[in-house]
Amino acid sequence: MLSRSIKLGPKCKVEHCVQRDSCKSRENYSTTVKWNQVLRWSWESQLPLECTQHFVRMRSGAADAQIPEPRFWGDWTSWEEVAVQSSLGHHPLSVFPKDKLVEEGSNVTVCYVSRSHHNNISCYLEGIQIHGEQLDPNVCVFHLNNVPFIRDTGTNMYCKMDPGGVIKGIVLFVSKVFEEPKDFSCETRDLKTLSCTWDPGKDTGLLTQLSPSYTLFESFSGKKVICTHKSWCDWQAAPDSQEMYNFTLTAGNDLRKRSVHLLFNLTHRVHPMAPFNVLFKNVSPTNAAMTWRVHSIGNYSTLLCQVELYGEGKVIQKQNVSVVANGELLVRNLEPYTEYVAQVRCAHASHFWRWSEWTRDNFTTAEAAPSEAPDVWREVKSVQGHRVVTLFWKPLSKLQAKGKILFYNVVLENLDGPSTMKLLSIPAPANCTELALDHHSYQIHVTANNSVGTSPAAVITLSRDPGNKDVEEARVKGTKDGFSLSWKPQPRDVTGYIVEWCEHPRDPRCDLQWKSLGPNTTSTVVSSDAFRPGVRYNFRIYGISTERIPYLLEKKTGYSQELAPSDSPQVHIGNLTASSFTLSWKGWPAEPQPGFLRGYSLYLKSKAVQCLPGSEKAVLPDGSVCCKYKIDNPKQKTFVVQNLQPASFYEFFLTPYTSAGEGPLGTFTKVTTQDEYSRILIRILVPMILCILLLTILCYLKSQWMKEKCYPDIPDPYKSSVLSLIKSKENPRLTIMNVKDCVPDAIEVINKREGARKSLIETEPTKPTYLHLLPTEKSYPGPGPCICFENFTYNQAASESCGPVPGPPKEQPSQLGLLTSSENVLKALGKTYVNSLGEIPAGETNLNYVSQLASPLCGDKSSLPTNPPEPALCSEYKMQMAIPMGLASPPSITPLDEGEHYH
Amino acid sequence: LRFPPAAPLCLLTLLLPPLRPGAPISPAEPISQAYSLALYMQKNTSTLLQTYLQYQGSPFSDPGFSAPELQLSSLPPATVSFKTWHALDDGERLGHAQGAFLALTQHLQLVGDDQRDLNPGSPILLAQLGAARLRAQGLLGNMAAIMTALGLPIPPEEDTLGVVAFGASAFERKCRGYVVTREYGHWTDRAVKDLALLKAKYPG
Repeated sequence: MLSRSIKLGPKCKVEHCVQRDSCKSRENYSTTVKWNQVLRWSWESQLPLECTQHFVRMRSGAADAQIPEPRFWGDWTSWEEVAVQSSLGHHPLSVFPKDKLVEEGSNVTVCYVSRSHHNNISCYLEGIQIHGEQLDPNVCVFHLNNVPFIRDTGTNMYCKMDPGGVIKGIVLFVSKVFEEPKDFSCETRDLKTLSCTWDPGKDTGLLTQLSPSYTLFESFSGKKVICTHKSWCDWQAAPDSQEMYNFTLTAGNDLRKRSVHLLFNLTHRVHPMAPFNVLFKNVSPTNAAMTWRVHSIGNYSTLLCQVELYGEGKVIQKQNVSVVANGELLVRNLEPYTEYVAQVRCAHASHFWRWSEWTRDNFTTAEAAPSEAPDVWREVKSVQGHRVVTLFWKPLSKLQAKGKILFYNVVLENLDGPSTMKLLSIPAPANCTELALDHHSYQIHVTANNSVGTSPAAVITLSRDPGNKDVEEARVKGTKDGFSLSWKPQPRDVTGYIVEWCEHPRDPRCDLQWKSLGPNTTSTVVSSDAFRPGVRYNFRIYGISTERIPYLLEKKTGYSQELAPSDSPQVHIGNLTASSFTLSWKGWPAEPQPGFLRGYSLYLKSKAVQCLPGSEKAVLPDGSVCCKYKIDNPKQKTFVVQNLQPASFYEFFLTPYTSAGEGPLGTFTKVTTQDEYSRILIRILVPMILCILLLTILCYLKSQWMKEKCYPDIPDPYKSSVLSLIKSKENPRLTIMNVKDCVPDAIEVINKREGARKSLIETEPTKPTYLHLLPTEKSYPGPGPCICFENFTYNQAASESCGPVPGPPKEQPSQLGLLTSSENVLKALGKTYVNSLGEIPAGETNLNYVSQLASPLCGDKSSLPTNPPEPALCSEYKMQMAIPMGLASPPSITPLDEGEHYH
Repeated sequence: LRFPPAAPLCLLTLLLPPLRPGAPISPAEPISQAYSLALYMQKNTSTLLQTYLQYQGSPFSDPGFSAPELQLSSLPPATVSFKTWHALDDGERLGHAQGAFLALTQHLQLVGDDQRDLNPGSPILLAQLGAARLRAQGLLGNMAAIMTALGLPIPPEEDTLGVVAFGASAFERKCRGYVVTREYGHWTDRAVKDLALLKAKYPG
């Protein structure tokens, strides 16, 4: 900075040159001067004075308007040197200017001065090398244009000398642009003090170097205040002497000054203080008187006050009142026993500038008697022959209660007996009471009471007749919004309807709810947050007679949302045949049901591709295909699956379904149908096997006896049973049976065709010959036995038939039955075998003794000549058969019958 | 602050011995105490230098910055040839250290003031500078105790800064702070060696 004291004329011109031959700037300075006045003029050189020599000269001229152009200038003074460099000392390197403070965006000229121009000097700005203009061998100038704000602690610019490593630098303090104050405004609260506020704007970013200062100047009074805060300032007003104010707020720092102006009338800038002392007097159930006070502004200034009344968080009344000192307002139309908040604020009435802050207070209106009767309902139960009545009532709403309900009065009036009244007082907040009553008719009056009075009575009558007439339950479809119930209008007079239900039907406590409806209502929607899907709700609709007696009208039941069953019934398989089986179950499932049961679905899996009639194809969730039977009757508990393949494998699963769908698929039960022939086979085979087993056991147990009787190793003719029979009956001396003893009456020789025989039993080595001795009646001298000989020794069938001699078939039906069954078996096994035996049953059944004694003759030897053809037939056999007479019927009858029967 | 909360208490106890009047004390104990403090100081000197440089901007904050040419006439350099150093007698050795740390305490105070002006928003740096000054003072007290124990005269406190300290430009103040924090480290290193030598010479 250059400063000169000069004695000049009215106008001066100064020329400033870095060197005498290179003038850098020329400036004019005008002022009115007096004679011999000393002028002081300062200006700043862009290039720091330390960088190089500066020269200055000046001249002056008259700038009087009376002097016409061209004006004449005086002569230049001689050049005067500004020699700052000489005071720099002998540092090898210096950088100028030191600690320069500039606004961002400005241009700064920096130079270094070195003592020796042989050194290599490099300069850096924030670590980046910069290149300058060599002013002379020892001075280099750097023009830093548009310098940015980097940090609040300044920007380093330094130069480094090599060799030697000398570092010299400067810190360039770059500030952000100083902003003009915004929103400059002044107001008064009491006409004595003016409070001016403004927004100082953004900070300059420099921490300590550039703290701004604010000055308030009022031009009418010429007063000036230095503000101690950066955003507000107080000014002592003079309301009596000064009405108008013209303020200039000047903000400035070392780099810049900024000013804003404000002209106003003091009374137009009144911002009243908040009202105080807000009180409520004479508070009744519906009215209250509100009073408040205001701070006076000047002499008897009128304020406009605004009162707002809040009830339950909402503005319910808003009124404006003119106030000088004390405000008063009567607040009407209030609800009893209700808390209200009132707030008041004021503004200057004649010149509105700004509302004061709100002042608020709350009050509660007085109580009044309850306006409505409580909503009452009852639940009647019979406990051990007594009538237990639970009386419920709903708490009155705030509007109805008009105060704090303290107790409920329940008055019981016996309608049947002598007029007796019983009063029960139940303290709030109880909402029910239980009464044990006899079976008389009672009228019950319930009232709610607060500190002021009693509500109208709710009346309900309990008749002697329980009135639980059978009412059919109808289904109702609910939605998530509730149940829409409707009922038939009652022909007789009703005073209203009641719909009751249990909110928690699965809970033993039930939580009885009811809804009272007017006499003209025939439908309602019952909704509750407690309604849950899959829970069945039962609704009862009562009509209230004019005698206040409730009587049941309708019952409804339904679900807010039906759910699919969650399980399936246990199924039992019965009556399994080759083509069908029967399923039976105990119904589904136990309570609670999540929906109305619509029926059952039966899934049947089989190898068959086609589904049977009555079923349809269905795809299971696992992708498998099966047949599905729909059982539409929910009461059905059995189902016959028919038309199945015998001996086939089936899987089935039964699940109930509601309108919401079927139950979850569980494990399929496996079943295999029976084989078609297996049952028949079992019926036949089992008795047969048993029979054979029995015979085998018998044969085994009596094997010795059998052997002796049927095929002794050495047959003893004297021990023949036939003989013993004869002996015991006829002749005790006879030991050997003679042919003569047996007097044949006729001999029938049946000569079977050999060919046919062979074809039947090829293994038979001999040709059997049957001799039937048919005794002739009368000619038979004694009771001689009829003997039939047949060699069965080598006949398989004969040997098997050994055993106790059966009697005639007709006399022993059990044996016949055995035969019959064996016949059946034989039939089943093959007819050829039956045929081969069918020819011998006569012999078989009558055979008692079979011997193969080597007697060539059948009968007595003496009879040989008489029967010449016989030996040819009997020569190979000696067969003896004795029929015990005691057991057998007369021989004349039995064989004939049998023979005829079998042949 | 990097040192533990108990450190001020330790420093307090270290400061106490010179204030204690009484009979001649064995030099081993004050030497040992001074040595411990010097070792503790040594651990923090490089942190102080790095913190200081970090807040000064380029070139000081550039990685690997070093300007050994920068010196302060008011602050004696710690560098000395080994032969000279080894030949020092106890009085000279302690006298040099005493003088250096006396200068360092005053210079650290100056640097603290400078930085409070240049970097007011960096309490970490200001706290480290303050802590370094306190420790230098503590070491001074310990050295005085050693000198007393050895029967050496304690040099009077002098104003080492003189009148040249004021009027320095911001950049010069940054350079000055760099030299002070650097020399503080060098003198602490030298003090550790001095005291180790004395410790060996006067075992307890």
